[in-house]
Amino acid sequence: MTAPARGDEPWYGAGRDLAPAVPIVEINRASRVYRMGEVEVPALVEADLRVEEGEFVAVVGPSGSGKSTLMNLIGCLDRPTSGEVRLGGTSVADLDDDGLARVRSRFVGFIFQAYNLLPRTTALENVAAPLLYQGIGRGERLARARATLERLGLGDRVGHQPSELSGGQQQRVAVARALVTDPPLILADEPTGNLDSHSGAEVMALLRELHRSGRTIVLITHDADVATTATRQVHIRDGRLVA
Amino acid sequence: MRLVELIRLALARLAVSRLRAALTMLGIIIGVASVIALVAVGQGATSGITSQLEALGTNLLTINPGATTTGLVRGAAGSATTLTTDDAAAIGQLEGVAALAPEARTQQVVVAGSQNTTTQIVGTTADYAHVRNFDLWQGSFLTSAAVQAGLRVAVLGATTADDLGLGASAVGSTISIDGLPFTVVGILQPKGGVGFVSQDDQILVPIATVEKYFTGSDSVRTIDVSVASADQMTDVTNAITAELRTRHELAAADADDFSITNQAQLLSTVGNVTAILTALLAGIASISLVVGGIGIMNIMLVSVRERTREIGIRKAIGARSSDILLQFLVEAMTLSIIGGLVGTALGILVSAGIDAVAGWPLVINPTTLVLAVGFSGAVGIIFGVWPARQAAVLDPIAALRYE
Ligand SMILES: Nc1ncnc2c1ncn2[C@@H]1O[C@H](COP(=O)(O)OP(=O)(O)OP(=O)(O)O)[C@@H](O)[C@H]1O
Ligand SMILES: [Mg+2]
Repeated sequence: MTAPARGDEPWYGAGRDLAPAVPIVEINRASRVYRMGEVEVPALVEADLRVEEGEFVAVVGPSGSGKSTLMNLIGCLDRPTSGEVRLGGTSVADLDDDGLARVRSRFVGFIFQAYNLLPRTTALENVAAPLLYQGIGRGERLARARATLERLGLGDRVGHQPSELSGGQQQRVAVARALVTDPPLILADEPTGNLDSHSGAEVMALLRELHRSGRTIVLITHDADVATTATRQVHIRDGRLVA
Repeated sequence: MRLVELIRLALARLAVSRLRAALTMLGIIIGVASVIALVAVGQGATSGITSQLEALGTNLLTINPGATTTGLVRGAAGSATTLTTDDAAAIGQLEGVAALAPEARTQQVVVAGSQNTTTQIVGTTADYAHVRNFDLWQGSFLTSAAVQAGLRVAVLGATTADDLGLGASAVGSTISIDGLPFTVVGILQPKGGVGFVSQDDQILVPIATVEKYFTGSDSVRTIDVSVASADQMTDVTNAITAELRTRHELAAADADDFSITNQAQLLSTVGNVTAILTALLAGIASISLVVGGIGIMNIMLVSVRERTREIGIRKAIGARSSDILLQFLVEAMTLSIIGGLVGTALGILVSAGIDAVAGWPLVINPTTLVLAVGFSGAVGIIFGVWPARQAAVLDPIAALRYE
């Protein structure tokens, strides 16, 4: 019943060595149309976007403009209806569903507005969970999860369940979970949306620090203030990206 | 994902909702326990009855009258009165017959002092105790002289003596059978029942006495024949058949008006009947396993719905559909296998209890255990796979949005 080991050499590796020649995210005329019975809802229309390694890009736009739709495409939670999404040089269209799962496992770390921690599961187990799907043994999983939580100042909260943590603490656990696999790309969808200004500022400071340490971050927000943290802003309106 | 990881996930999940897990397992527990208990009790009964039948006497042939087949209709054994005490005497002369005990039966009211009971009066001969493996507890058995003379002497079965309030000192006392005085000469040791018939609730008297005082007929109900050695069983059976056909003046085309039962045949018949009954009961009990499986499926479907968001999260952090499928499948199997193990333990306890009460040996067949646990695992797979598939095919975005 042992799943085949997910190979040690990342499929995107070749592309990364050549950076910045190959952008970490490259979207070419990608559209996503939701079909609701007879009606077609174009959530994203012919979007073009390049994110180079080490960039901190904010995607800014009002509610319903298609920000989450864009993030789902970048994060391989979804496929474009038309157009192309390339991650580290590889086209997502060439990957089957397990291939997409593999990208989510190795390439992307998600941070959601709603934290999305596993309920009734300790902070430690939550942060260790992504490593489970990389086939890493329990001992190493827990050690890495603990180290990541400690780095984010949550060393004294490892045994707490989400219901025993404040919103800001939960979001920091979520950040730890996104970081524990050491992914090339961090995707944050409204990470401060549910937080008060103080906790929100803390999380943003954390993202800034991650960027300084060389990570590529795509931040999604409707808040122009929050967006100023990023090094580059991309605006989206009615499913269209505007420079 | 490795199996240990999947089992760990499943156990952690079950620990979160212990009561629900326990209730879900209950169906499997009851199903497995009843299958195991029924099979074990069936096998215990078989071996118990077999050893009791063996206690009846070795190398035993039983001759009954009138079990003839006329056309397609088989008359009830003993319905005819074709065997007589003279037939018995003739059989006694045959080669290979070591001992012989004809039986004539009548039901009579028996009174001893202020106690009374209604019981079987069995008229027989001095060889009866030997042929049927009865041991005396007190006094002596019917003597050949008493049998010849048709004296009013009686040997009491253990239960009958009890019912009449008679103990060891009763030997030599007088009881009344149908108003006639009989002298108690002995009391038998208890032997236990064969099936539902107690061999301990009867009174043995000389066969001529039964004819003379009660039935007025020389017909006998049964003739038990003890054959000198096991390898003579067939020869003696043939000799008895020939002798009785001659004595009854049957033409070559006529069917036998008697039947001869071989103890060995009886044993295998009993074995077959109990095996069929056991299989039937176990089959009925296994229906509850299926019901238990449906319970598991129901709970797993509810669980998939409740945990839609968890499934979305797991997919977002890298779980493949197959990881989700296995997680839910192993969860269902963990429920059913733990249920199977608990059910097995319960089944063994119950069958030990029943066997102890019935006085049968506890027979637990290892293959039954392996089958029961294997079957409950299979129930987990069969009824877990659909919910697990529902979980696996969830769209991650829709699952993450699910409230
Ligand atoms: N599953 C779906 N089916 C149909 N329409 C959808 C679906 N998901 C999104 N949409 C539509 O697509 C458009 C973009 O949605 P999206 O979630 O990307 O917006 P958003 O910019 O993230 O908004 P918010 O800031 O409120 O999160 C909206 O009009 C929405 O109604
Ligand atoms: Mg959104």
